[in-house]
Amino acid sequence: MCTLKVTGIGKYFSTTLLFKDISFELNSGDVVAITGWNGSGKSTMLRIIAGLVRPSAGRVEMFCDNKPIPKKSRRQYVGMVAPALALYDELTALENMEFFCRVRGVAYDRKSCFNILERVDLVKHAEKICGTFSSGMKQRLKLVQALIHNPPFLLLDEPGCNLDSRGIKSVKNIISDQRTCGITVIASNEKREVDYADSIVNLSE
Amino acid sequence: MHPTKSGRWITQTVSSTYLSEAVAIWLRDLRSEFRTRYAVNSILMFALTTLVAVSFSIGSFRIEESERPFLYAVLLWIILVFSALSGLSRSFVKEQEAGTMDILKLSARPQAVFLGKLFFNLTMLAVLELIIVPAFILLMGYKIIFPGCFVAMMVTGGLGLGAGTTLVAAMIAQANARGALFSALSFPLLLPLIITAIKGSERAAYGISAAGWPEVKIAAAYAVIMITVSLLLFPLIWEE
Amino acid sequence: MIYKILLTIWMNLIIAAVFLYVEPAAGFPGEVSRILFFHVPTAWVATLAFLLSMIASSVYLITRKVNADFLAQSSAELGFLFCFLATVTGSIFAKATWGSFWNWDPRQTSIVMLLMIYGAYFVLRSAVPDHEKRRMFAGVYSILAFCTVPFLVFVVPRITTSLHPEDTLNPANPGMDIKTLIFFLGSLCAYTGLFVWMLRLKVRMLRIMDREQRAFRSNF
Repeated sequence: MCTLKVTGIGKYFSTTLLFKDISFELNSGDVVAITGWNGSGKSTMLRIIAGLVRPSAGRVEMFCDNKPIPKKSRRQYVGMVAPALALYDELTALENMEFFCRVRGVAYDRKSCFNILERVDLVKHAEKICGTFSSGMKQRLKLVQALIHNPPFLLLDEPGCNLDSRGIKSVKNIISDQRTCGITVIASNEKREVDYADSIVNLSE
Repeated sequence: MHPTKSGRWITQTVSSTYLSEAVAIWLRDLRSEFRTRYAVNSILMFALTTLVAVSFSIGSFRIEESERPFLYAVLLWIILVFSALSGLSRSFVKEQEAGTMDILKLSARPQAVFLGKLFFNLTMLAVLELIIVPAFILLMGYKIIFPGCFVAMMVTGGLGLGAGTTLVAAMIAQANARGALFSALSFPLLLPLIITAIKGSERAAYGISAAGWPEVKIAAAYAVIMITVSLLLFPLIWEE
Repeated sequence: MIYKILLTIWMNLIIAAVFLYVEPAAGFPGEVSRILFFHVPTAWVATLAFLLSMIASSVYLITRKVNADFLAQSSAELGFLFCFLATVTGSIFAKATWGSFWNWDPRQTSIVMLLMIYGAYFVLRSAVPDHEKRRMFAGVYSILAFCTVPFLVFVVPRITTSLHPEDTLNPANPGMDIKTLIFFLGSLCAYTGLFVWMLRLKVRMLRIMDREQRAFRSNF
């Protein structure tokens, strides 16, 4: 049982206000969509939750089994996909997976990685350099990267971007799987993706 | 794209230590570097051009015998330091430019990142010294009386160079005007090390009593202190 | 206000007395030794300012209180100014007694390194656009630079020998006559007072600028 508690979050960039007083609380099984106009701070909101950006006001708290997760070890509980989070272009798909496994302390073996790549239709390209991938293929690999350590908190920033219909279906599968074991936060304006969510936080209001 | 029934893909985790994470980052950097040769090319080309320029304009006989140990030590360390400054920031700057810095922040512990990058920079320095120092000795006719002391000075000097610049590289990767800033910020920190290294190399070349190798010890102490302090400070500049 | 007036009177008295009342020290040509009353206090204030800046930086990194960073920044800027003044006065003295403005005396070497370190510190501050990051980086750099200072102290004297007058003009030396000592200490107090006054002005200025910015924000 995990909880994400966001209280009174506000963000300024020097003197411009992005948003303020954003609060919500989520428990395991919840899916929330963050919406808003372009430039309203959807991505920044996700980055604040992930701990990549410090909010100007308010705080983000995470609990697992009622125990607070210290800020230091938060990265082990969070998986994130975002257009700005790039993978290593000089490595192959498999090497990228190997790197993230090793760095996160997940047991790495070639066979299970191949299995995963098969599920995202990348097995043919496992040994190809990521720099040669199309944006859709990169997006699939990013989804794999975000799920590699079983995060109870899944942050998806425009998860469906550049994906074909099969890819979009698998995003749907990922979200419904996450419902059984964790929290999902989606930042998107895409109607289809917003519909996955039980509740909506609109940053433009 | 269908995850397993349990909704999960990989479930088995092993405990990772700082060192294993650092080694993973180091190996990844080496692999990227081996494929693009970005840092090593810029460092080596800088070093070779300077070496050729120095060797061409001074030659092996222009400087008097008695002056050589000192002046050659100065020239050698100027070449080494400025070549290192031309490329050692690459490992962090590249993460920033390729947009992979955030994913690294999300997946690895800061201390592990620092150690991994430090190992990578030390590897680059080892390559630089292994190529440039013998070439310099051959081209300039540099006679060294105490090779052991000289090698120890090169090793500890290289360690110090890596130790003193890695944290600065991490800072300038997140700032504007990256290129010029790296040398400007690193040089004042490196000055005591450079002075020590020149003195130590001169001593090894002269063959004056090198009992206890004091300069080697100072450089080693510099490296140890800079690494310790950097490890403590790095999380502050790495995390928001 | 009263502080400013007292400081002005005190400094003027010291300057007048140093030129009119105190005799020049023996062993130095002409009036040269009077530089003692100006050079040493500036160097002292520079040291004090850099030390204060480094302590304030550490306090900022621990507490993240903006005021500590204001103090660190102001102190570093004033330290740089006084360090520059000490370099200039010192090199005038060097010209008058040793015949050249610059000869890489250990004191000159270490003062130039201090100027370089803090020059880099200001460059770093100007290169980071984000306020919070800028403060953090500046603090980290200042601590890192501070850790190299012991090496300088240890390494530099091994390279060059000093011509710096230690004995004849050392306040702790019993050879210094009592009148000189009193006015030297008076000058030291005056310069420290000047530093404190300037520091308070600078910190107040930074605080007001920050407050204006916050007020501007809350208008939204």
